[in-house]
Amino acid sequence: MIETLASGQLLFAALALGATYALVALGLNLVYGTMRLLNVAHGDLVMLGGYLTYWAFALGGISPLVSLLGTAVAAALLGALAYRLLFRAMLGARRTGPRVEANSLLLFFGLSIIAQNLAALVFSPTPRGYEYLSDVLHFGNVALTGNRLAALLVAAALCLAVVLFLRWHTMGLAMRALIEHREAAAVVGVDIDRVQIASFAVGFGTAAVAGALVSMTEQVSPFMGFPFTVAAFVVIVMGGLGRLEGGIAAAFALGLIETYGVALTSTNWRSILLYGTFVALLLARPQGLFGRRAVMR
Amino acid sequence: MSPARDLMVVLALLGASAGVPFLGGDYWIGVGITAFMWVALTQSWSLLSGLSGYVSLGHVVFYGLGAYVVVASWEVLPIAVSLALAAGAAAVFAFATGMPVLRVRGPYFVILTFGVAELVKFVVMAAEAAAGNASRLILGTPEIETLFFLMLALAAAATVLAWGVRVSRLGHGLRAIREDEEAAETLGVPVARYKLLAFVLSACIPGAVGGAMALRNTYFEPLQAFDPMISFSMIAMAVIGGSDDLRGPVVGAACFVFLSEMLWANAPQLYMIILGLLLVIFVLFVPEGLCGRLFRSRGA
Amino acid sequence: MSTRRGIFNTVITAAFALALPLDSALAQGAKPVRIGFSIAKTGIFASAAPSQLNAYELWREQVNARGGLDTGREKRPVEFVQYDDQSNPGQAAKIYEKLITQDKVDLLLAPWGTPTHIAVAPVLERLKFPMVGNTAASSRLRDLKPGNIWFTTAAIPDRIGKELAAMLKENGVKSVALLTNVLPFSKEIKGFLEPALKSAAIAISVNEEYPPDVKDMTALLTKVKQANPDAVLALSYPSDSPLYVRQAKELGIGAKFQFVLIGPTIDFFPKLLGSAANDIVTVGEWSPARNARAKAFYDAYVAKFKEKPDYLDSSLSFLSCEILEQAVKTAGLDRSKLREAIGKGSFETINGNIKFKGVENTVTKTGFLQIQNGEVQQVWPASMSTAKYRPKTSW
Repeated sequence: MIETLASGQLLFAALALGATYALVALGLNLVYGTMRLLNVAHGDLVMLGGYLTYWAFALGGISPLVSLLGTAVAAALLGALAYRLLFRAMLGARRTGPRVEANSLLLFFGLSIIAQNLAALVFSPTPRGYEYLSDVLHFGNVALTGNRLAALLVAAALCLAVVLFLRWHTMGLAMRALIEHREAAAVVGVDIDRVQIASFAVGFGTAAVAGALVSMTEQVSPFMGFPFTVAAFVVIVMGGLGRLEGGIAAAFALGLIETYGVALTSTNWRSILLYGTFVALLLARPQGLFGRRAVMR
Repeated sequence: MSPARDLMVVLALLGASAGVPFLGGDYWIGVGITAFMWVALTQSWSLLSGLSGYVSLGHVVFYGLGAYVVVASWEVLPIAVSLALAAGAAAVFAFATGMPVLRVRGPYFVILTFGVAELVKFVVMAAEAAAGNASRLILGTPEIETLFFLMLALAAAATVLAWGVRVSRLGHGLRAIREDEEAAETLGVPVARYKLLAFVLSACIPGAVGGAMALRNTYFEPLQAFDPMISFSMIAMAVIGGSDDLRGPVVGAACFVFLSEMLWANAPQLYMIILGLLLVIFVLFVPEGLCGRLFRSRGA
Repeated sequence: MSTRRGIFNTVITAAFALALPLDSALAQGAKPVRIGFSIAKTGIFASAAPSQLNAYELWREQVNARGGLDTGREKRPVEFVQYDDQSNPGQAAKIYEKLITQDKVDLLLAPWGTPTHIAVAPVLERLKFPMVGNTAASSRLRDLKPGNIWFTTAAIPDRIGKELAAMLKENGVKSVALLTNVLPFSKEIKGFLEPALKSAAIAISVNEEYPPDVKDMTALLTKVKQANPDAVLALSYPSDSPLYVRQAKELGIGAKFQFVLIGPTIDFFPKLLGSAANDIVTVGEWSPARNARAKAFYDAYVAKFKEKPDYLDSSLSFLSCEILEQAVKTAGLDRSKLREAIGKGSFETINGNIKFKGVENTVTKTGFLQIQNGEVQQVWPASMSTAKYRPKTSW
């Protein structure tokens, strides 16, 4: 038992899981943080990214690690389009806070249904999969499949890149400003419209990249997105809505809890453990692990 | 927009549809059961979320618990008793969890209610798995006509309850909470008590509805009984119909059932896509719901 | 009010009338035989259901090409009335009710999966409408003595338990790790497998359950690796079968006998897993090498859908259509005659001769398949084998 817990194998599994959660949750948090929009269609972008990658591989023989650039750009454009067509008007209509959240939840729910069923109509519900980097690598007594290691590295690197972008790039700083103090940001001359469009683009793009990474290890199907949406919501609520670093920390915490919790109890306890932690945490700290009261007002 | 007149209209509509079993066959009775189920669920949801602004994304938990109670007590208790027990169990669960859960606000509340529902789903699943049942089949359930009138009664009860809350101090208090919770508190609205009361009231009928649907489905599996889509659908119907309006749930449920009967047959994916489009259109252009839009000029 | 309902009725009927001709374009001359079923086009089973629907469509195409369904007196074209059950068994039960009472279909085909069959069974009993099941097996229904549903599969949980234990014993397995998804079918198999293993004197060194939404099995499989059993029996579903194989490969689980319940026979499985899928044993009692009909079905399926049929679900679905076709030929469309014809008849199918005893197909032997060099081979029982079982020596 102790051996199991101390082995690098479990740690790797936890990190791999955490990195996927972190990347999926990042975009969701960004869109929530800057605009207070609850994107329940976020997981469907993972699905879309998965399909793009699959088709690029199946039809063009393009490596997922190459095609994910194109996937990211395509999803980012889709995000910008969604913002322009649907969300700008809604956000412009200046309604009170909770109203925007509830309405955006429904709007995205509608889009989610459309995306899933359009995918089922166009791609058929048959699961798709391909084999890529499936050789097992050994590091000491830890065995890693190439594609999982690649997914972990890319996801972690992308999370880091987004965090750095938010710290150093002008656009990133503007996003941060919008997350922290929306009114103040407008006063000091931040071009809110541009920042919001950028948030949508980055949010959608990162989700699609997560989908590209997932497709290397899992089969892709039209209705695969919802569990990702749920996991991402759990993560960002635990980390504090709008708190990007908090979300990343929560994602890895969740990966650890899930992996080690299951190792200590039983795999059957996975979901109970996950939702139990989530519910208990939120009841104890209604603003999330790293949330501040000021953030939600 | 007098609530009393709304109540009469809704009850008259429900009363008139009691004629369905004498006119149509089993199929129309089945459609009726589904429609009443949604009216009862959405009406109960609106009682809490429409009035107080606390958007519950986990109302299916009451429905699922009710179903579980009825299935677990099948052939042990008389049906009437187990249905009452289903409503009671949902209410007790709401009371027990309400205190801490209702302290959480805004989007945190939305996701938390979802999390609670999922947690209960997995606990029930684990309990069933440990007991060696992955699913249960109940045979010898009441005739479909009986269930029709049962569900009709539940829809009517939910409507009357929602009406009662709306016209009472509780309803006014909840609306005040929706507008500004701090302000309501300073004005002397017993915020915590009102929220809890609304939570419990909005839970009991979904509990009974879940029990009744278990009798209708004759089949119980936690994944289906606690399906999050049921929660989403309640919200969608309330929004399409109008969430702070007694007629909203009826209009919303009628729209859904009509659309589903029309399209679901030959174009299931298209049906879902149209449903999604409708939702998008309503949120963007008719956020006050059909009732808010259609009856505004006359009512005001 | 009644006139209002009348208008409502008319509107609905008109809407259906507008939508229906799509399907009935082929109906010239004889009145078509309308066959109803529900299928998971959306929701969690949607990814598993196409292997069934494809088989139905292939059958319909073939029957209509032969001039239609022979009802004993005349040949009539076949027309499907299908609805999406959204992967919800409760919904499926309502659909069958609608098919029988409202659409008044002539015949029924089965929905996908065990839970859905179980949910539909009471409706069939109540309305006395016979249906040949396919992608389902439950020993629980047998005890309820229904008279209107039959299971074509030999993969009934108690028989899988017994046969698997026998096969393990014959191949010298002394200890197993048993991993069970908590869904109905796999749980039921586990219930029968445990005593069967015990009486075969095979030790269960790891016995764990996991939920259907499992995302990582590292902890579970680490336990398996430490126990180092001779065999791993993963009672899994299509969504988690690849996860097991992938992570077992990663950890280098050394068990030579690898059993994966549902998934390996589906087309995407080897595509996703490549060589790791090789030498995996799964449940199934059909292969194209079975007989001439089987080969013809396989070729037609590949030609039409550009992928291989699922050896389990596609073949079961197709043969349930064959049984229905042959029963209708002798009994016509009368339900009580049809019930008797199915219950007492003997049928020639792509899986050889099939007869029912009670609700079960007792002729077809419960068997196991193994993926060998990308081809699915029958390796158990010996009388049906197309190849010899071989231990899995590498991932």
